Amino acid sequence: MTQVGHGRVTFSFKDAINLGFSYLRRRRDRSILNIASISLGLSFYTSLILTDMFYQTYATLGGASQSVESTYYWLVIIALIVSVVGITNAMLISVFERVREIGTMKCIGALDQHVLLLFLVEALLQGLVGGLIGYILGVGAALLSTGFTTGFNIILYVQPVRLFTIFAASLGISLILSTVATMYPAYKASKLDPVEALRYEL
Amino acid sequence: MSSEKVIELKELARHFEVGGDLVKALDGVDLDIGRGEYVSLVGPSGSGKTTLFNMIGGLDRPTNGSVYIDGVDISKLDAYELAWLRCRRIGYIFQSFNLIQVLTALENVSLPTVFAGLPRDEGNEKARQLLESVGLGDRINHKPTQLSAGQQQRVAIARALANDPAIILADEPTGNLDLKTGTEIIDLLHKLNRSKGLTLVAATHDLKMIKASDRVVMMRDGRIEKIEKGEAPLNHN
Repeated sequence: MTQVGHGRVTFSFKDAINLGFSYLRRRRDRSILNIASISLGLSFYTSLILTDMFYQTYATLGGASQSVESTYYWLVIIALIVSVVGITNAMLISVFERVREIGTMKCIGALDQHVLLLFLVEALLQGLVGGLIGYILGVGAALLSTGFTTGFNIILYVQPVRLFTIFAASLGISLILSTVATMYPAYKASKLDPVEALRYEL
Repeated sequence: MSSEKVIELKELARHFEVGGDLVKALDGVDLDIGRGEYVSLVGPSGSGKTTLFNMIGGLDRPTNGSVYIDGVDISKLDAYELAWLRCRRIGYIFQSFNLIQVLTALENVSLPTVFAGLPRDEGNEKARQLLESVGLGDRINHKPTQLSAGQQQRVAIARALANDPAIILADEPTGNLDLKTGTEIIDLLHKLNRSKGLTLVAATHDLKMIKASDRVVMMRDGRIEKIEKGEAPLNHN
């Protein structure tokens, strides 16, 4: 006789991408900062790995053997941690800015997991772009640091599959770090009490 | 007008503890609201109007008593069923509009249809029609910041109607509007109430709005002080 207690609200991954994309596009400044943060960390990682790879390739071609100092790898880890903290911070601010909107969404049918999904999708989209840019910057930086010794065409001597592996790795790391950084803010957003959220004044 | 009850409140109470003191936001409220009825809730701030709204919308759980919507005790519903209730049976209108700032008018209005599982095209078409019906057919791609306060509230009303709810809960819908715009919003709500048979429950201080209603429920200290007939004839055509 009635609809009460029947049916299920829905919010698909695709819906989350649509809405998340609107948020990222409209809050361009914050999105760019997040993407910059992740892509700088990632470009550091990519450039070190590639620099090492270029030197190795150069050595197999008969050039002088050189390698990247291992202490640099510690710096990479620190750089990645710093970008994670930066993204967590930015996403927390994003949650606070959107408290009322989250409350409103819960009023019109959103469940906790839908809010969680929305924030994680935003993280994934940022991670995807950040990883891409990070890789491109990393390739450029590695070429700049090795090119004068090995010649800039060294990249042509590296097996494409190895370049692709590093591409996949930097994308993967970027997605994982971006998601990890957003887990706490997203959880906080999803657990907001709509009654409190609607009363909230920024 | 049918006498079928859409909302039944039975000995409804909601107590909070604030700094060790017990605050009785609602202290035994009994009220039946019929289908298609237009009820105004009035009372000083802190009299329990908003808490009452939160109860009817299933946003908050009563300390005592129960809320029935369409004869179903909503305290028996789980989180999914409550979300469905809020999504499909109830439309919210707020004093401060609460539109999603990054979305266009059309996207704001179609958002509830996303949660209701309506295909995107259908949802957009529905949203477009609703925006037209509230007089914003030429503003569908505007963002909230590009709209006046009155236009934003119209978008919010269209959003509240997106899933054809039976009940509209309006919390001070004219509170942030000037007199003229407020009157237009009241007329719009009144028209929807009459033409679509929507049950309209509005918390308000606005005399015009109170006058337009079927019944006026006066609240004080979490209780109903008295109920008066509004000036609107119950069976007007």
